[in-house]
Amino acid sequence: MSKEHMPEVRPVKSGSFFNNPRNRALIYQAILLFGLGFFFYTIVSNALSNMEARGIKSGFGFLFTTSGFDILMSLVDYSATDTYGRTFLVGLLNTILVSIIGIFLATIVGFLMGVAYFSPNWLIKRLSIVYVETFRNIPLLLQVFFWYFAVLAALPDVRDSISFGESVFLNVRGLFFPEIIDEAGSGFVYAALAAAIVAIIVLRKWAHKRQDETGDQFPVFLTSIGILIGLPLLALIVSGNPFHLEYPEASRFNIRGGISVIPELMALTLALTVYTGAFIAEAVRAGVQSVPHGQTEAARSIGLKESRIMSLIVVPQAMRVIVPLLNSEYQSLVKNSTLATAIGYPDLFTVFVGTSLNQTGQAIEIVFMTMAVYFVINMTISFLMNRVNDSVALAERK
Amino acid sequence: MREFQALPAQPAPVDTVGPIGWMKTNLFSTPINAVVSISIFAFLVYVLPDTIDWLFFSANWVGSTQDVCSAEGAGDGACWVFVSAWMQQFIYGSYPDPELWRVNAALVALGLVIAAPYLLPKHFRNTVGVPLFLLFPFIGAAFLDGRIFGLEYVSTDFWGGFSLNIFLAAASIIIAFPLSFLWALGRRSDMPFVRSVCVILIEFFRGVPVLALFFMGSVMLPLFFPEGVTIDKLLRVWIVLILFMSGYMAEVFRGGFQAIPQGQYEAADSLGLSYWQKTLLIIFPQVIKVSMPNILATFVMLFKNTTFLLIIGIFEILNTTQTALTNSNWLEGHAAEGYIFVGLVFWCCCFGMSMISSNIEKKLDTSHRS
Repeated sequence: MSKEHMPEVRPVKSGSFFNNPRNRALIYQAILLFGLGFFFYTIVSNALSNMEARGIKSGFGFLFTTSGFDILMSLVDYSATDTYGRTFLVGLLNTILVSIIGIFLATIVGFLMGVAYFSPNWLIKRLSIVYVETFRNIPLLLQVFFWYFAVLAALPDVRDSISFGESVFLNVRGLFFPEIIDEAGSGFVYAALAAAIVAIIVLRKWAHKRQDETGDQFPVFLTSIGILIGLPLLALIVSGNPFHLEYPEASRFNIRGGISVIPELMALTLALTVYTGAFIAEAVRAGVQSVPHGQTEAARSIGLKESRIMSLIVVPQAMRVIVPLLNSEYQSLVKNSTLATAIGYPDLFTVFVGTSLNQTGQAIEIVFMTMAVYFVINMTISFLMNRVNDSVALAERK
Repeated sequence: MREFQALPAQPAPVDTVGPIGWMKTNLFSTPINAVVSISIFAFLVYVLPDTIDWLFFSANWVGSTQDVCSAEGAGDGACWVFVSAWMQQFIYGSYPDPELWRVNAALVALGLVIAAPYLLPKHFRNTVGVPLFLLFPFIGAAFLDGRIFGLEYVSTDFWGGFSLNIFLAAASIIIAFPLSFLWALGRRSDMPFVRSVCVILIEFFRGVPVLALFFMGSVMLPLFFPEGVTIDKLLRVWIVLILFMSGYMAEVFRGGFQAIPQGQYEAADSLGLSYWQKTLLIIFPQVIKVSMPNILATFVMLFKNTTFLLIIGIFEILNTTQTALTNSNWLEGHAAEGYIFVGLVFWCCCFGMSMISSNIEKKLDTSHRS
């Protein structure tokens, strides 16, 4: 375009200052900044004067004072003489425990039920639909209560425990199963297990490379399982079984020994698993449905077996839809685990926002610390899932 | 020359049509499928008769005290008397008897306000329907409270039951609508400070457990107000619910914005529309349309989450159930009945809404996927 055809740029005249978008943007932002500043100034000064009036000391000094209350279940040593800092740690570990178990089980249930939707078997498909539609549409808290007050509370007393082979007991006090206790020489078996995992990773790499170069396939899966079971087993036999099982022993009123799972934890994990599982099943269904049918047809036309079509063609493409959804489901599972407080499972929320806040009255510090913890956990999940997402995402030209 | 005569068509093989054919393809297509089908079937036969018997046939339906269920000759099934005796509490909480019509009226009004856009003639929609919709929460709350309208004053301590779940969820989403739209606009804004404020707001309210927000509302908010000012507990909960909902809805709207082609903005600009004309007349209607299924899904989530209010002592339906279960006249263990009833109520509402949302989705879906 030649220069004389260019439109002439004229400076805007009337009310030019306010009609200039850049100036207006500056003014709007200045107003917002001023408003926010005023807002925060007001609430902070109000909070300070209120706390002074109520005699609440601000700051994190309370973390080093004695808490003076017991906690139902802790993964580390804890007693009433420990500090609030220790309480925080106990709660945090319990939250992480229930989150990990919940995520693990919900993923399994969700994938099974999601895949069941595509079963040629009419009954299985109905089962999947009924499961998803039932549990997705009932409030989680109600499900927690249902498991805790209606199902687990109806279990028999300690005296009439349901026992499985006299080693696993289920009763109203919880679930009890044997604990594996290490003896001298057990490190050898653990080392063998670690070696097996390393060997499998190396094997996979090698098999992949060989297939790329020669086209020959290697039965990686079966070999991996063989190594994973065989190597530790061999070590176990060589070292003469350096473990023994500590069985829970049932007496009249109590059960001692072994590992015990308190009913609060059971109810919470059951509810979280079933509820989140329904959402994950829905995500899996959406993912599989998002793969165009032509992909399956193309795979059939080149003669792949149905099972190979699923694992090589459909699932990798479905994962692109599933993984981002899984990310948000996992995050909401962690957030929902705060419902522990309704049945008294001692997670971070119960011991910290519940009991500790009541005792110390340091609302602001405690609520913000707790929020920060959930934020960090969710950021971690998001970070990990984004790594997974990168690995399943469509490899596009850079 | 003999003319070619086709033989009469044979009926299809017996095992490919009718119930037998259906069973063969859908239940017994492979040996594994057959085994699975038979075991599921056996399980159902084992469980269903007892369950149905417990739920219906040997259940106790009429009466007003739990003695009806434990009396001799009473069925040993579910005690639905528990539910019917507490029904008023479950629905209305402890709202006083003579004033119950106000709750009913407010529920009907809510229904009308939602239906208004369909009922009103087109040119009244924006001038009457929308303001009614946005004002409903305030008018409804004032009506239930009663003081402004010269009715008997009912403190929020008496509000409760399932109607409270409905009102809280509806009132929150209605206010969250414009607020979240603003946040979503802010997140797309060119102004860096506005954008970062909106991002922080949205991510904060999405990233924090809603229970923590409720606790913030009940133990922290009072600290932020000047001394002597007390804010009603339910009002604080409402504020928290609005902010929580806005965080989620803003993300829904963001998805909606991304679905609008750039050409729409350019066309609006080329017509010389101002920013707000462009946003409200061109973009907003399209965003609403594509986001509707997700808005409903978010609403369902909010609706289910109103049960969490039990933990900070609001008498919504689940809390009422818990109270009923610990009532000294009803101590014989009716937890299952109570939870099944509450679950059923929620299930009907949530399932209904998810059906509506999937219908809308189907209507909007123009792709031809098999």
